[in-house]
Amino acid sequence: MKLLSSFKKELILASRGFYFYVELIFALVILAVLLFAIPQNFSSTSTEYLYFNLPQEGIEIFTNHILEDDLDAKSEMVEIKASGKTFNAELIVTDESEIYIVDSEEAVRMLADTHRNIGAVIELDDNNQLYYKYYLQGYESTRLKNLISILNNERTDVLIERIENQDVRLLSTGYEPLTDRENTIPPLIAFSGSLMGMFIMASYIFLDKKEGVIKAYAVTASSVWRYLMSKILVVLLTSVVSGFIIIMPVMGFRINYGLLLLLLLTTGFFASSLGLLIASFYNTLTKAFGVIYLLLIIMMVPSIAYFIPGWDPFWIKIIPSYPLLQGFKEIILPNGDIAYPLIVSAGFLAVGIILFAITNIRFKKTLSV
Amino acid sequence: MIKKICIIFLRDIRVNTREFMTLYMMIIPLILAVGINFLSPGINDTTVNLALIENENPEQAAYFDDFAHVELFSDEQRVEDRVMSRDDVIGILPKDNGYYIMTQGNEPKSVLEYSKLLNVLYESDVQLEDARSEIIEFGRTVPPLKKMLVNMLLLLISMLAGMIIAMNVLEEKVDNTVSAINVTPTSRSAFILGKSLTGMFIALFSSIACLLITGFYNVNLGQAALVVFSLTILSLLIGFIQGINSDDAMEAAGSVKLMFLPMAGSIAGYEFVTGNWQIFFYWSPFYWAYRANDMILSKSGTWPQLILYIGIILVICGAVYALLAPRIRKGLQ
Repeated sequence: MKLLSSFKKELILASRGFYFYVELIFALVILAVLLFAIPQNFSSTSTEYLYFNLPQEGIEIFTNHILEDDLDAKSEMVEIKASGKTFNAELIVTDESEIYIVDSEEAVRMLADTHRNIGAVIELDDNNQLYYKYYLQGYESTRLKNLISILNNERTDVLIERIENQDVRLLSTGYEPLTDRENTIPPLIAFSGSLMGMFIMASYIFLDKKEGVIKAYAVTASSVWRYLMSKILVVLLTSVVSGFIIIMPVMGFRINYGLLLLLLLTTGFFASSLGLLIASFYNTLTKAFGVIYLLLIIMMVPSIAYFIPGWDPFWIKIIPSYPLLQGFKEIILPNGDIAYPLIVSAGFLAVGIILFAITNIRFKKTLSV
Repeated sequence: MIKKICIIFLRDIRVNTREFMTLYMMIIPLILAVGINFLSPGINDTTVNLALIENENPEQAAYFDDFAHVELFSDEQRVEDRVMSRDDVIGILPKDNGYYIMTQGNEPKSVLEYSKLLNVLYESDVQLEDARSEIIEFGRTVPPLKKMLVNMLLLLISMLAGMIIAMNVLEEKVDNTVSAINVTPTSRSAFILGKSLTGMFIALFSSIACLLITGFYNVNLGQAALVVFSLTILSLLIGFIQGINSDDAMEAAGSVKLMFLPMAGSIAGYEFVTGNWQIFFYWSPFYWAYRANDMILSKSGTWPQLILYIGIILVICGAVYALLAPRIRKGLQ
């Protein structure tokens, strides 16, 4: 009852403050960005510059072959500039790339250099075999360069036919990928909702330290842990409300909101307890902020791995935000794994309780004097 | 006036150094710069991860290693376990007349297609030695992702400096030192400006140090210094407004969070939004700062372009200051 009463008081106080509304406005802005600025799927087209140093017949064969993939089966004559020069080019736009066919090797080199895209010259060698000269920037990995260098050893139509006939065996079925818009939700929720709790809790504590509220607790019947917990509950409430504001309009009723609530609460509790623990070591917010800032940056690193398939080193997985991001992703995935968010929630809750217990001991020693 | 501001600034530096806070705030971006150096080669080298059975076909494993990251496991079950893990790993396993591709089913299409292509190239006996091609490079060694991360770090530094200014000003407000200044020959504006110089100094030092650490020592440092200067004006304004207008730490924290939104939005807008739609980000000084930094880090810009971008940042900052001047004056009272 005392906890509930403290929570109600904190909530009334918070509702009179600026921060409470900042959280809600922030969630609404993120929602607007998700709905109106981020497309359902990003179009990731590459740009290539080609020059066919071949007899006219060869040029036509290659051009017509590429033209088959053009969106409207028509090429367009355009002018492109590089290093102050203007070059004429035949533009072919496919699903995956914009291909500019130019009329000299110099044009390929200058365009690839200026616009930082790949360029290629296709010509005949001494044995009348096709020979490919690629213009790359220099930062491409050796593995990628290896692949580019042998890609045209075999005829493209033969490669495509063999690729299509590959025996691919799926270990699990019923998987539906998220759209790019949906895929951006987990990092937004994780950082705006769960992890910012660290910063906000520390701010709350220093505000109360300054105003002498914490010392006043020493002469009340209420205990320190109830005071701390009532603060955490306010942060959790704002985190849950803002999380739901962001997710509900985008995902509708396709996801398990019980699981989402659980993960928001447990991860928010973990972050808030961590923020409290850090705050207990410092006497001003500026000092605590230094540590929290560094931690937030470290927590952001797994979001790089989240967006780059294939880059998932072991050490990334031990940063707490990795399971946090994956947990949110599993919740919004159609046919997502229910067990994973439950395990992650249990883990964050357990660590949160330990951090809270340590924080409580520290605050008991430092606050009531 | 300038002498008094400098005295306050130097006193502030001495006080902060004694507390190790300024030093600490200067070190954090440097640690992040080292982190970027540590991360970017691994990310840049990323193609796909393949799981194979150890000793089943060493020649095949060596072949794939030229094009992808290869992990070897003792048997099919362990390969299956690896494929089922949360990251994207594709298994290539033997069958009666060749190899099949084992996937979890949730890998991006590009990862699966790359793996299929590699298997086809191996089965077709396409060897690197037989390549009928030549690669000409322009000698650029910094990958785009590293450039993007360094640019983001430069903007973060200005935000961090802004936060330090905000917290410094706020602490003085809470301690009622701003009022106490009334009985000294120093004006309140000079006092606050002096306090803000610490943040500006941190931004300047950290930005240049980060450029050097991350290997951008051959960029035009004159241009970089100009952008850093305009960014510090921006951070000064942010910190000043936040500190002056906040009555307590919670309000300052809320303001900081709000400021992250235009910064993150501007970066995302520049990187992901197509040409014509970028006009919607022209109001943001972060957009122009990011664009100017990108130009400098790419070594592709001209002085007139840079001066234009910096001019836009300063004009926006000036407009914001003019708009908020009455509130700032009120906050100082």
